[in-house]
Amino acid sequence: LTCTNEESCQRAREKDLRNLASNLPYEGLERAKQPNCYFPGNAIKTTKYTLLLFIPMNLFEQFHRLANIYFVGLAILNFVPVVSAFQPEVALIPICVVLSLTALKDASEDFRRYQSDRKLNNTPCLIYSRKEQQFIKRHWKDVRVGDFVKVVCNEIVPADLLLLHTSDPSGVCHIETSNLDGEINLKQRKMMSGDPEFEPESFNSAVVCEKPNNNLNHFKCYVEKPNKEKVGAGIESLLLRGCTVRNTDHAVGFVVYAGHETKAMLNNKGPRYKRSKLERKLNTDVIFCVILLFTMCLIGALGHFLWLQALPGVPPYLVPDGNGHLDSPSLSGFYMFFTMIILLQILIPISLYVSIELVKIGQIFFITNDIDLHDEGTDSRVQCKALNITEDLGQIEYIFSDKTGTLTENKMVFRRCSIMGTEYAHKENAVVIPDRTLLQQISRAESSSSSRNIDPHLDFFLGLAICNTVVVSVATAQRQRKNRTISEDSVEEEDHVKPPVKIEGSGETNKLHTCSLHAPSQCDKSAMTPDNLSYEAESPDEAALVYAAKAYGFTLLARTPDSVTVRLPSGEDLVFQVLDTLTFDYNRKRMSVLVRHPITKEYVLYTKGADHAIMELLATPYAEHLSGKQKNIAADTQYHLDGYAKEGLRTLCFTKKVVSDKAYESWSVNRQRALAAIDNREELVMDTAVQLETDLSLLGATGIEDRLQESVPETIMALREAGIQVWVLTGDKTETAVNIGYACRLLEEEDLVINMSCGNKVRRPLSASLKVGCLTQSSDVVFQFAFTSMLDCTLEEVRRFSEDPRNVDTTQNISLVIDGHTLTLALSSDLQKRFVDLAKRCRTVLCCRVTPLQKSRVVTVVREKLNVMTLAVGDGANDVSMIQAADVGIGISGQEGMQAVMASDFAISRFKHLKKLLLVHGHWCYTRLASMIIYFFYKNAYVNLLFWHQFLCGFSGTAMIDYWLMIFFNLFFTSVPPIMFGIMDKDVSAEMLLGVPELYRTGQGTGEYTFKTFWISMLDAFYQSLVCFFIPYLAYQDSDIDVFTFGTPLNTISFFTILLHLSIEIKAWTVVHWVIMLGSVALYFIVTLAYSAICVTCNPPSNPYWILQRQMADPMFYLLCIITTVVALLPRYMFHVLRNSIAPSPLVKARHLDRLDPSTRDQCMKMWRSFRGIAQVKPSRLSTPPSPTLETPVDIHPHSPTTFDIMWDERHH
Amino acid sequence: MVKEEQELANRPDNTAFTQQRLPAWQPMLSAGIVIPGFVLIGLAFIGIGVALFVTSRSIQVLEFDYTGVDQNSPCFKCSDPKVLNCVCNLNFSIDSLFKGTVFFYYGLSNYYQNFRKYGVSKDDVQLSGDLTNFKTPSDTCSPYAYDSNNQPIVPCGSIANSMFNDAFKLYQIINGTNTLVPFDGKGIAWWTDYNIKYRNPSITPLKNAFNNTVKPIFWSKPAYELDTSDPANNGFINQNFLVWMRRAALPNFRKLYGRINEGDYAQGLPAGNYSLEIAYNYPVLSFDGRKKVVFSNVSWMGGKNEFLGIAYLVIGSMCVFMSIVMLIVYAKFKFPEEDGVPGH
Repeated sequence: LTCTNEESCQRAREKDLRNLASNLPYEGLERAKQPNCYFPGNAIKTTKYTLLLFIPMNLFEQFHRLANIYFVGLAILNFVPVVSAFQPEVALIPICVVLSLTALKDASEDFRRYQSDRKLNNTPCLIYSRKEQQFIKRHWKDVRVGDFVKVVCNEIVPADLLLLHTSDPSGVCHIETSNLDGEINLKQRKMMSGDPEFEPESFNSAVVCEKPNNNLNHFKCYVEKPNKEKVGAGIESLLLRGCTVRNTDHAVGFVVYAGHETKAMLNNKGPRYKRSKLERKLNTDVIFCVILLFTMCLIGALGHFLWLQALPGVPPYLVPDGNGHLDSPSLSGFYMFFTMIILLQILIPISLYVSIELVKIGQIFFITNDIDLHDEGTDSRVQCKALNITEDLGQIEYIFSDKTGTLTENKMVFRRCSIMGTEYAHKENAVVIPDRTLLQQISRAESSSSSRNIDPHLDFFLGLAICNTVVVSVATAQRQRKNRTISEDSVEEEDHVKPPVKIEGSGETNKLHTCSLHAPSQCDKSAMTPDNLSYEAESPDEAALVYAAKAYGFTLLARTPDSVTVRLPSGEDLVFQVLDTLTFDYNRKRMSVLVRHPITKEYVLYTKGADHAIMELLATPYAEHLSGKQKNIAADTQYHLDGYAKEGLRTLCFTKKVVSDKAYESWSVNRQRALAAIDNREELVMDTAVQLETDLSLLGATGIEDRLQESVPETIMALREAGIQVWVLTGDKTETAVNIGYACRLLEEEDLVINMSCGNKVRRPLSASLKVGCLTQSSDVVFQFAFTSMLDCTLEEVRRFSEDPRNVDTTQNISLVIDGHTLTLALSSDLQKRFVDLAKRCRTVLCCRVTPLQKSRVVTVVREKLNVMTLAVGDGANDVSMIQAADVGIGISGQEGMQAVMASDFAISRFKHLKKLLLVHGHWCYTRLASMIIYFFYKNAYVNLLFWHQFLCGFSGTAMIDYWLMIFFNLFFTSVPPIMFGIMDKDVSAEMLLGVPELYRTGQGTGEYTFKTFWISMLDAFYQSLVCFFIPYLAYQDSDIDVFTFGTPLNTISFFTILLHLSIEIKAWTVVHWVIMLGSVALYFIVTLAYSAICVTCNPPSNPYWILQRQMADPMFYLLCIITTVVALLPRYMFHVLRNSIAPSPLVKARHLDRLDPSTRDQCMKMWRSFRGIAQVKPSRLSTPPSPTLETPVDIHPHSPTTFDIMWDERHH
Repeated sequence: MVKEEQELANRPDNTAFTQQRLPAWQPMLSAGIVIPGFVLIGLAFIGIGVALFVTSRSIQVLEFDYTGVDQNSPCFKCSDPKVLNCVCNLNFSIDSLFKGTVFFYYGLSNYYQNFRKYGVSKDDVQLSGDLTNFKTPSDTCSPYAYDSNNQPIVPCGSIANSMFNDAFKLYQIINGTNTLVPFDGKGIAWWTDYNIKYRNPSITPLKNAFNNTVKPIFWSKPAYELDTSDPANNGFINQNFLVWMRRAALPNFRKLYGRINEGDYAQGLPAGNYSLEIAYNYPVLSFDGRKKVVFSNVSWMGGKNEFLGIAYLVIGSMCVFMSIVMLIVYAKFKFPEEDGVPGH
């Protein structure tokens, strides 16, 4: 293998495993002889073009658009002498203008990329040099795979580094990944096991790693020492390019991927391109225009043929070709077809696509500048990531929402805990105020040292403090952060609330506790006082639990990959050796930490997780003396958990397991093997986790409150009034979800709630527990059968309910609650149709305990089966797939990092912003763009003027309007007003749209831009062009008018007709409207007059010299303009007036209300809403009780271990 | 305060423009509001219509077809293309005074001067007097750029080639003697055509400029001899030539031949018998065309055209009628804005 051979390089890069070695032994050799020469360097180039090849490459890129090819084809056609309609050079102008504008935009973007690349490539960094025996200063672009790079605190990592050494004695390095994923909490990376005295020159192992990929959370690699010993390493030892090193003095790493192969670069995709629904429909209409154009050209060709045929001889005006011959009529007709295409090409709107892009830029400007969508707390605006789907916001029919962090704050407050079956409640407060009895209980347990290690209360809090991945940092650490974090907030608040705690603690004479909270023992390092600790958690739950433990005196002081330091209420610091951390995943729904107790030397496994993920793993009683009670504890705890869930709290179970030495040894071997594996590593690692997490003993449970965000119920009510169905997809328990559902008015008290769940109480074999399906293969069939019949039955019932004449308006008052297991069945290919049919009839669907994959499945199924516009909103990594599956994905930048925001099309900071974003901006964007596009098609149909003229010129393809003026007509005179119209028109005020959400319905489904509206406007254009041509024709009939003098009033008339047509459509005239409209008129006259004054012999055959000037001196010109414009616009005007008077749409009514003064208007809006509200609520009170067969839970299959219950839950409070 | 502003650096500007709260005029299109507008427009249109109609009525027009298709027509003998240099006389009488300056037009029907290839077939540079284009006419003139001997044709192109070449002389018959009624052929073309667009080469005599060129195939006289009576009316600035070069927009058109505004006829054509002597040269039967002559006086609105007046009257009355319809609609579907209940 040599580097000079391109093919071998290619092969080396594409191998599944890469063998990397240190560059140091080869330093100074030429590049081809180096072992890592196959891999690209660290210099990056994100530019698309090079200076020399810009023009060909950019043109090639632009010709991917079909429209551009079409117009270039037409321009080329114009160079064929027999068919040309205009001067060939002039025909090139429009397409050249469009192409060069786009090229200019591309070039400026590329130049910006080039500048940022150059800046990055020249960033200084430290690379080890053997010659110098030290790290020397070089640039990022000099870094190569196999180099040793040193990164100091607050510096950015230049390439993907395998961490070999850090300044931290415990071998960790803290990094902030906000550049990559936006998450602002610190993450720990640990160095590859090695001696602390690391020397780059003595590194003689081979690093074997996988092919580069874009997964930021996975990395597989092992280091093979010369003695063939393999040590595995994962993402926890990889410093990613773009991260910032924090809280660590320096770190040294081995470059594994450089430049474009780094994970950060592989993740760095450009902006996403989505095609909006409107645009898809628009394309079919463009095809209609093409068909129309061809029909017109065919008529022209045929007409020319017939006209020539009918001539009795050779008239003097027929020009023969150079040889004096005349083409036969059929050949002339054939040529005429192409001439007509050139002549009438404007029928296909060339500037439509460019104009739409401009309009969307303007719309996005207004969305992002809306002060109501700005969140003061985080100082963040709404972000538009997808630039071309703004109008989709106005057409949403289904919203799929996450619960945690989206509907709720995701600011967790520790509210309740249940320890060994006893319940302790806490007040609602940002900082945990310890419960007195529980404090006493702890101090009692602590004082009786004999029971200390087995007292479940102590274990419970140790579990709280240990079983997490919270990183401790010192609050005074010099980290500049713009965004708030939980830690800072909480620390601050704690200071404020501290005095009452002190009083309470001292008042109760709990000296031990007070001491531990407020008087830390002197032996501590000053930096490590509990007061200035700050906890950085990946999920806010964890931080809440650690803060709760701290409130009870169990303070997490430090965490390294190998140890956890916890201070007990007694003030004693315990250092637990962490043997392993079994991280959380969505399949297991639990996490565990295996530690070695420093005093008892026992191996202890603390596990926490969702109750259903824990309860079935419980085994033997906790301790001998509690025997017999264990069952009760589990039952009591479950009872408490259900209660928590009903209150809408998030629940977690805590367990403990003592692992014997022998069991640990054998497990540990498996674990190491799994970790070093390259293939199937994730599965193997998870398998080992499942192996250990058995026979757990229950300690207790916690209930964490997650408050609803402000204005959530109002927002949901408004969205529902707007005709949008809101579904909630959550990983939480059914009870929690239902409760939140009631709290945010997703479910109403008088709703019928259908609860679908398979009572999955069966203890599953461990091997099956990994599968998402809820049953083993054999019983699945039985269950599915039962489910199918149940689904049919419910569907029938719902249908009957909705068809009942007494329930005419109440179809939507049925709600469906379904859990993840049942959903899996419901979404199976043979049942999904029925399920969707059922869901369609329900007002709300709540899906609980669903996995991220299921979320996206639900969205996809609903979107495809019902063919509706969907919107998904979420804040966490688990919502990413759903956000990507929906037509419009909205990310909420909240507590759980930025993954959802990165994947989204729009990012907002609060759920309530959805209301204005959809109801106001969505509505505006949609109506504006839809009207603009319809207008654009209409405007281009003005070319029909030329078509009518063909009937009077022997279908010879004559244009009676100067070609330059025709170009200007589209390019300057009439292009700005519709763009302004698309950006700024306001049919109804924002207050009105928010006050009467019902108005949103106008955009749903097919909306305003339909087949009908398109053809109506095309017909109108035909009518208007007929009028604009034939009134002047009749007026100038039999006169001595010449071709272009006849064309000038035609051009002027159609110009005024087009502008006044727009004026009829404009709903609100602001200063900008006036300026642009009058400006366009002025521009038309100034340019045309100037052109007519300058152009003496230019642009034959038209010679527009002094024509307009002459016309403007003739009163006939004005009289003609007035009457023609009036006749052309009268039908449309009358249509609008009569429709608005006789059958006004809700929008027209709203516009009427808009004209009233604010107080009267508010009153009217209220009346309007209540009028609708009553119509919806009233009949539901009259509704029949549902059929008795479904009232009680039904057991379909008595012998089946599953129970399937569907109940009508009619709640009248 | 300063600190707060800094903290919210991302906060959008709270201006009427960015918040889309610019004061706006929101016209409502509904029956009640448009009634006065309709009435006003209707009345104004009726007024204009009446004025136009009356003006148009006052214009006198006299038209004669002299193609000679009909055997009784005086020019029937000339309609055979084989007959050369045929002259025919058209006699007519006028009952009352033809008021004002009388415009004399010739008219052609079914003649497509607006045919695309015909329209292109000229050389503007040549016509502006550029001598290089005398020697090498532009390609656009093909096949009328060079004759069969490869001599350049000046003026080249199909338009010039097909110039109308009938000539007219009008006589008033007073007591059996023919008195010539003079046509004023000056200023019948556009001022800009005569003075700016079309130029003769600045060579005197003009004839020399045309050395080594040939006249258009259909022409009987070269360009510099178009008007033997007035040397200034020759070459490219011959008025009749200019009128012909301004191509008609529609297949049935008339072109100005001269005005009658001199001597005894300055006040118009008095009643009496007239004879029009026509030098019949231009063949039109090959394309089923017709030739005519038109006498007409003009008003401020140009020639006689009753269409516009009628159109104004019709649209005006329609607007008035619509306003009555609107009144009914308004009474029936009144917007109850006052009582505030939307809809019905």
